Amino acid sequence: MRTIRKNFRLFWQGTLLSYRALFAWLRPVTYMASKIFMPLAQMFFFVFLGTYASGKDTSDFYVIGNAIQITSISGIFGVTMSVGGDRDAGTLPYLFGTPANRFMIFFGRAFMHVIDGAIGVVIALTWGVLLMGLDLSHTDLPALGLTILITTFSTCGLGLLMGCLSLLTANVMFVNNFVYFSLLIFSGANVQISTLPVWMQIVSSILPLTRGIAASRALAAGASLTDISVLLISEIGIGLTYGFLGYFLFSWFEIQAKRKGTLETV
Amino acid sequence: MNYSNLFKYWRTVLVVAEMSIRMQMNDAFVLFAIVFQPMIIAILALFMLQGKGADYAMFVVVGSGLTGLWSSLLFVSGNSINVERWTGTLESLVGMPTPFDVIVFGKNLANVFQSLLSMVVSYFLAALLFGYSLTLTQPLLFFVTLLLSMFAFICFGLTIAPVFVMYRSVQQWQNAMEFPVYILCGFLFPIALLPNWSTPISYLLPPYWAAIALHGTSTAVMPFEQIAFAWGMMLIFSLVDLVIASQLFKIMLYKARVDATLDVD
Repeated sequence: MRTIRKNFRLFWQGTLLSYRALFAWLRPVTYMASKIFMPLAQMFFFVFLGTYASGKDTSDFYVIGNAIQITSISGIFGVTMSVGGDRDAGTLPYLFGTPANRFMIFFGRAFMHVIDGAIGVVIALTWGVLLMGLDLSHTDLPALGLTILITTFSTCGLGLLMGCLSLLTANVMFVNNFVYFSLLIFSGANVQISTLPVWMQIVSSILPLTRGIAASRALAAGASLTDISVLLISEIGIGLTYGFLGYFLFSWFEIQAKRKGTLETV
Repeated sequence: MNYSNLFKYWRTVLVVAEMSIRMQMNDAFVLFAIVFQPMIIAILALFMLQGKGADYAMFVVVGSGLTGLWSSLLFVSGNSINVERWTGTLESLVGMPTPFDVIVFGKNLANVFQSLLSMVVSYFLAALLFGYSLTLTQPLLFFVTLLLSMFAFICFGLTIAPVFVMYRSVQQWQNAMEFPVYILCGFLFPIALLPNWSTPISYLLPPYWAAIALHGTSTAVMPFEQIAFAWGMMLIFSLVDLVIASQLFKIMLYKARVDATLDVD
């Protein structure tokens, strides 16, 4: 019981401290500009482009797709920087020197970003309703909330894997940006996945977000939670797969770094 | 800015431009901004605008190229002075006899020139991957427009860089400034889709006139009077930007030499 309590405390402290380390030094304006205005401007850009391409009556398709995709700002950039931040700040050797539970440390890095990302999506959807005429009158809102949370969770899973890669490469922002922008194509946020070439559809099917966006669109069209349950379960599975891949990579990295003395070499 | 300095120090401008290109071609962030991000936007737009027919491929090539130009202007040119502050070379540059604005002009020239790569990449992407046959409707006028656009972008960059150094509260919005300009300048869709109140803002942005003229000479057959009007607007804005930039550089150099607060975060 004591071990469980200690691990829970470790998880919670790691969660809060890594999030504060990432954002607490920023002025509120900078935080808002990067976390609220930039994603919204990006959403509006793709909604305008989409409605220009296929007509005003398709705006819901683009608003929902891009609003959900906003979660990847927290999921990819936030989580990666939380994991990789330990190396940049020079705290990684100390972390690896402690006997603390690695599982708790590692997954704790993503927790706040799940909450943060979900709030970002809700803000985007609110703007979509207020400014873009998004119709959520037939939507099961609690189910949509659950979908947002699950999609954010699975995207953070990918973020954890990316975070581990950030321990191995110096060009982490390049990789992050590339993955983030690629998700705009492959997740189906802006293009019907069925219109993509087969190889792109295959890539799309193994990425987070794809099912979350499809589920959100189905809910907006009036589907029930039962109708989208398969999509949500697979989204959770994808998130867990990426998260555990990241965890194994993190563990492997620790062993290799200790064995070869390469903790700070990248 | 003393304009005669550009002619007097033209060798310096070119050397600075060459140095900047050499340095930035090794910077993954710059490569992402001028090659990969416009390429991804081009792929998306080509898929999204497929239904509008093959004519739109050239529109996408030019539009996504312009997104690369703006992103690079905002992040690279915008930080062209800041980068010297971060690396500790700002004081040396300000203290040397070569006018500082000449150096920043050279850096912006390099940045805008290398950003044209985004248009080239988008062109090959549309031609090779999507199989579009791409031709410019008015090639000569297009290349004249491209030169004027480059000049307008450089001058615009000269106003942004000192603002970002002196007014950090403005620079905090840097990330949020990227997509609004894509929208307001009609890079990939006409501004007629936007609310009417936003139109005057578009008219005040030099990249809007560049987009009008570049799209008009590459995709459509725009009447020469309209092209000339867009050229005129670009030249007017360039001159206004140069006047504003000269004042901003004066204030900045004053801060550097008298207040000694330039390097203070």
